[in-house]
Amino acid sequence: MDALLQSIVNGFVIGWIYVLVALGLTIVFSIMRIVQFAHGEIYMLGAFIVYYLSVVLGINVFIAFVIAAIVLGLVGIALERFFFRRFRGQVESSIIVAVGLILLLQTIVVVSFGSQDKWIPSVVTEIITVGNIRLPWERASAVLIGIILTLALFLFIQKTKSGQAMVAVAQDLEGAALQGINVDRISALSMAIGCALAAVAGALMGAIFTVSPSMGGFAMANGIAVIILGGLGSVAGAVIGGLILGFIAGIVPLYASTHVASIVGFVLIILILIIRPRGLLGRD
Amino acid sequence: MKSDRILRYLAPILLFILLPLFLQGNQYYLHIFIICGINVILASSLRAITTTGQVSLGHGGFMCIGAYTSAVLTMKFGFPVYGAFFMGGLVAIAVAAAIAYPITRVKTVYFAMLTLFLGIVIMLIALEWRDMTGGSYGILDIPPLGTISIPGLFTIDFSTKFPHCYFILFLALLILLFLYRIERSYLGMTLKSIAQDEFLAASIGTNVANFKAIIFCVGCFCAGLAGSFYAHYNSVLTPGTFDIFSSIYIIVHVIVGGGKKFSGAIIGALVLTVVPEIFRVVKEFQPFVFVGVLFLVIFFLPEGLAGLPERVRAEIKRISKGRAQNNA
Repeated sequence: MDALLQSIVNGFVIGWIYVLVALGLTIVFSIMRIVQFAHGEIYMLGAFIVYYLSVVLGINVFIAFVIAAIVLGLVGIALERFFFRRFRGQVESSIIVAVGLILLLQTIVVVSFGSQDKWIPSVVTEIITVGNIRLPWERASAVLIGIILTLALFLFIQKTKSGQAMVAVAQDLEGAALQGINVDRISALSMAIGCALAAVAGALMGAIFTVSPSMGGFAMANGIAVIILGGLGSVAGAVIGGLILGFIAGIVPLYASTHVASIVGFVLIILILIIRPRGLLGRD
Repeated sequence: MKSDRILRYLAPILLFILLPLFLQGNQYYLHIFIICGINVILASSLRAITTTGQVSLGHGGFMCIGAYTSAVLTMKFGFPVYGAFFMGGLVAIAVAAAIAYPITRVKTVYFAMLTLFLGIVIMLIALEWRDMTGGSYGILDIPPLGTISIPGLFTIDFSTKFPHCYFILFLALLILLFLYRIERSYLGMTLKSIAQDEFLAASIGTNVANFKAIIFCVGCFCAGLAGSFYAHYNSVLTPGTFDIFSSIYIIVHVIVGGGKKFSGAIIGALVLTVVPEIFRVVKEFQPFVFVGVLFLVIFFLPEGLAGLPERVRAEIKRISKGRAQNNA
């Protein structure tokens, strides 16, 4: 029983990181109508920037997180302007651009850092213990950061003019443009937010596990799995989908290996898609 | 006109038949020739699937099924090599047929994602089914293709790379001919009509899901055969070969070559296999070459590499026209 509870707690932690990856993907999809396959590499870059700033330069980890989010937010704006803007809504072409970016970013990181795994040392080493369940502060803060960022994003979309403009563009691009919304600006904003969230997610994952140039591929697959499960373009769906996949990733390894957990997750999504092609909370 | 056309098809085929003779001295060149053959089969069969407007991101998964089926059947169940070779294709088509109906009913983006996950699941099963596949250690010492001999005429012994070149060339030509016949048949026309307007095609009585499923199975069969060949050629199989990127590279070959034309997938697979190898000297910077080709094509040649001659011809016409106007 304790093992099960412990796994649920672990799943919750992984789940919130998946949610952060998926939120970026789903926002970019709803605004730009493309699946941004290079999202996993932004996640990987986030982890490497935090590694570089905190381990090599010795800057405080929390400041490193903020810097990583800002830097990759700006990278997101540049990517939108020079790579993705002209391929808005084109699934095939955007795949090619993303594959190019994946190879480019991975190679740059391998050339400059080498391909070995890296560790970001823990800043806080205390462990919260409730009964027999142990939750390191590091992981608890990952959940906390995840929840805060998700709520912040939710409030941003609901309460600000830019957020409402994003909703408008997601619903009807031409209609929004006719109302005087600068669609290109909103696209850039969506990429900036998406990349910043991915950077934080990657850094959190890097702090809990390890940092490696190839960490992006699996994150990308899981992020896409989450948004497909929850429904493309749905923020609430991304949260629910992320937590479901997180629980699967946490609980199934109790009884079988981690690969089986991935198989269960992906097969579940394939089945759900076949029964309900628009995902759990997706609009058609 | 007719002889001109025959020449256009026969000249490249003749070139590829003669090419291994010139490369014979260098094992590395022969290896690239063989990998080119495999990639051409994969890209062309994936292109056949995309003619209905569906992008499959799990094609490498079906290659994986073919490869493991063929290897396991020969090594664990004592199948003759060529029997197992063919079974690789058959098992791939069986898996494809089992899932084709549900997955060809969803929309384009979802189809791409479903097939992506399918590819990952197949790879993970290869990783996890240790009794059969050896897990992450893979399968070693897979027997090569058996000796083909016609008494009194010739014997082909597949112990070196050289005969493999002709085997893959023969297999690739056979599959290309097969796919070309499909493309130019009634079936091919129907598939194109589905790509243009699914609802219109359905309204005149085309069973859209049925046709999509058929071509999906055909494509996966070819990928399975390519996988079988790869297993016996390489003699080592590890699940890592069939990761997400193996599938994504195949679709990259198709799109960079130009998915609209039959020759596009072939050109894409050849160029994107050979060009990075030429730049092998730059070592870890090698992916930049691949990336460079990708970006050049996607930004400047929307029709893909196969559209290059037409583009050049149009440019020349435009320039000469401009000159004529200037003179006038």
